[in-house]
Amino acid sequence: MSNHEVQLIAHLLRRAGFGATRGELEQYSSLGYNATVEKLLDTSNPQAISEHLLRRYHPDETSMLVGLGGLGAWVYRMTTTDSPLLEKMALFWHGIFATGYAKVINSKPLSDQIRMFKRFAMGDFNTLLLEMAKDPAMLIWLDNQQNHKEAINENFGRELLELFSMGVGNYTEEDVKECARAFTGWTIGNCEYMMVRSGRDSDWPYGRISWHYEFDEQDHDSTEKEFLGRKGNFSGEDIINIICEEDATARFVARHMYHFFVADEPPVPQWPYQEPRDPKAIEQLVQAYFDNNHSIRSMLECLFHSDFFKSENCWYEKVKSPAEFVTGVLRLSETVVDMPQFEIPGKQLRMQRMGQTLSNPPSVEGYDGGTAWINTGALVERMNFASEELGNINTPGSQNLFDSVETDNGVVVSPERLVDICLDHLGSINVQDDTRSKLVDFAAQNGEVHIMDNGLDESSKVNISGILKLIVASPEFQRE
Amino acid sequence: MVTKKVSQKPFLKYSRTIGMTTMRGRGFYFPVDSAMSSDGRIFVLSRSSEIASSPDTIRVTVLNEAEEYFGVFGKGGDDPGSFRWPCGIALDNSGNVYVTDEHHHRVSIFRDSGDFISNWGTHGSDEGQLNGPSGIVIDGDDNLLISDAKNHRIQKFSKDGRFIFSFGTFGDKIGEMNLPWGITVGPASEIYVADWGNDRIQKFSKDGEFLCEFGSGDGEFTKPASIVVDSEGYIFVADWGNEAIQILDSNGVFVQKLLGEATDSEWAKEYFDLNRDEGEVRELSDLQPNIEFFNDDPHEKSSHIEKLFWGPSALFLDSKERLFITETNRHRIQIFERNA
Repeated sequence: MSNHEVQLIAHLLRRAGFGATRGELEQYSSLGYNATVEKLLDTSNPQAISEHLLRRYHPDETSMLVGLGGLGAWVYRMTTTDSPLLEKMALFWHGIFATGYAKVINSKPLSDQIRMFKRFAMGDFNTLLLEMAKDPAMLIWLDNQQNHKEAINENFGRELLELFSMGVGNYTEEDVKECARAFTGWTIGNCEYMMVRSGRDSDWPYGRISWHYEFDEQDHDSTEKEFLGRKGNFSGEDIINIICEEDATARFVARHMYHFFVADEPPVPQWPYQEPRDPKAIEQLVQAYFDNNHSIRSMLECLFHSDFFKSENCWYEKVKSPAEFVTGVLRLSETVVDMPQFEIPGKQLRMQRMGQTLSNPPSVEGYDGGTAWINTGALVERMNFASEELGNINTPGSQNLFDSVETDNGVVVSPERLVDICLDHLGSINVQDDTRSKLVDFAAQNGEVHIMDNGLDESSKVNISGILKLIVASPEFQRE
Repeated sequence: MVTKKVSQKPFLKYSRTIGMTTMRGRGFYFPVDSAMSSDGRIFVLSRSSEIASSPDTIRVTVLNEAEEYFGVFGKGGDDPGSFRWPCGIALDNSGNVYVTDEHHHRVSIFRDSGDFISNWGTHGSDEGQLNGPSGIVIDGDDNLLISDAKNHRIQKFSKDGRFIFSFGTFGDKIGEMNLPWGITVGPASEIYVADWGNDRIQKFSKDGEFLCEFGSGDGEFTKPASIVVDSEGYIFVADWGNEAIQILDSNGVFVQKLLGEATDSEWAKEYFDLNRDEGEVRELSDLQPNIEFFNDDPHEKSSHIEKLFWGPSALFLDSKERLFITETNRHRIQIFERNA
């Protein structure tokens, strides 16, 4: 396999996953690019760390008492999954259907929502949108429990059209009202009690009670509605099916997908006024949507096989989100495999310091993303975190690196070769020439590395980890 | 020996619920184990959360069945007398309190007043070393039996930490173990182990010789966490992965399955007396809704229906042989007693 194809697969694994260890990259490379895409798209039997183990050693992660409880478990799953695309899709939909603890004030419905995203992330968009509309956390986040037959609340109906499916400019104010009417009576069970508890942040007496969807037929407006030029006694389900037939919806999903997997688009509010970065790419994705019954998986398949995705012009163009960055580093360190560890839930706090609190986006518009992830404080936190994790010479990941250095490199390893091995170890990163030159200069300060009869000595290991610590500060490592 | 269902009138009936959740002080916060002293005081071990911001959320809460509150002791941290992952608690004949810590790999000892005495234990896999100690029980000779979970064995120590013997190794064959958790001693000094990772209970002689197993083969248990045996040999299993308690007779024959029937504890009633608006709207709510659950996941069911067990991780019997069930994720203890 050519080095270019290995690099291409590495690009795919950064975007459709969280990067790859050298071992993973070798496995995927043996399959080839097309088969790797197929494998990533097959999310039928995802495996990750045992849920029972998580529940035993981190009981708070599966409960609801702790504010934002469940984020540590999310870190575990992203770090240990063998189906990284599914976890990326959960992040993708979480960024679009952004729902936050600040208003929900119950972490279990929020973690349930993420589980829902994974169940429906790659099926048809109609089903996902319907499940999202019935999601208890979303219903409360957008006040639909206050959307009554006799007094509508437009919040959910408006965001469904504006932020979740079509975008501004593709519907009228009347459509918003009619849409809201169709979702009257969509609420959660024991709504009044649950809202009293959330309102006072009450854990008492026995912890939170999880929420469930409830349809209140008495409070539902089943009369005729006129929506997007059609008339009928539309239910919420009907509205969603109409929305999903719209060209604007396909374009909206396609542009989000391009933004997440290929290259940054402007914030959603600017979309009505600013053309997509690559209109032809959007056309291809829209075609895949309509040709395959609104299948998200088919759109992804189209995207990963496209020239616009494979183009080197988009490699290392996207800044990793804190969730992607932390997860990628933990996967490279290989410290979390099959047993829970006391320190892991705290890793999500590092994400927060980098500017992203999962399940608590700054607004209904989600996270700003892109270069907004990088500011002075966040960049220092990112470099510190990666240095701590990858600079630790005692992790399994580091041991694999040392094994690579000791194997097939003779007894003396040059600074140039060391840098190449380190870049390879971090997922076959291809840095710019001047970056590589600086890395080699740094490595040369410690001279050549000598492989002793019993392998690398301690000081050589520390020197090699020093190269890793420098690489993590490079633009190529900070990006994907 | 296998379990099988036989028709029988309920063996145990629900009595009451005690405790409630609070992050600090009077209440529990992710309680993982509890034990009762000879004078009826209950020592409840709260594990708390790794990301809880203050160390006083990890503690031992002392109360009695009437929910008289006697205070707390212990705290989160690394110093002697502090915990990170407290897991098991037991009282010796003198009333001293022993707490295992899965993170520090040690046993901490307190007087029943809460004064710290000492701790012992070193991390490792050699004889007498510990790796993630979980369940703990005092045997008839006042020695300690500890589930050395990540070494997949049981170790016996004197109260001051002197190694006596061990048995078990990693595996799923008879006598082998996978992350054992709860442990108890039967009326004839037999040792019962909740072999968590192998979904079974194993019974050993007091010397560690394998005698029999329960629950294997048909998957009757899912990740059992705790076990106690009464004076007649009835076996009570915290079927943690199924959010249930199972009761077997001394031959391993199924007797009864409990799913939880919690009602408001005295502390809960006090809370609702003080917060009447919340109590009133709770009264009007349907706390047993008929919901379509995800794949019949028992954990999901427990998260939605408050009275059901959620994380039943520890059991003990009092002097009247009433069963006390500590629920980690509902922060309370449900009590069941024999039918007349």
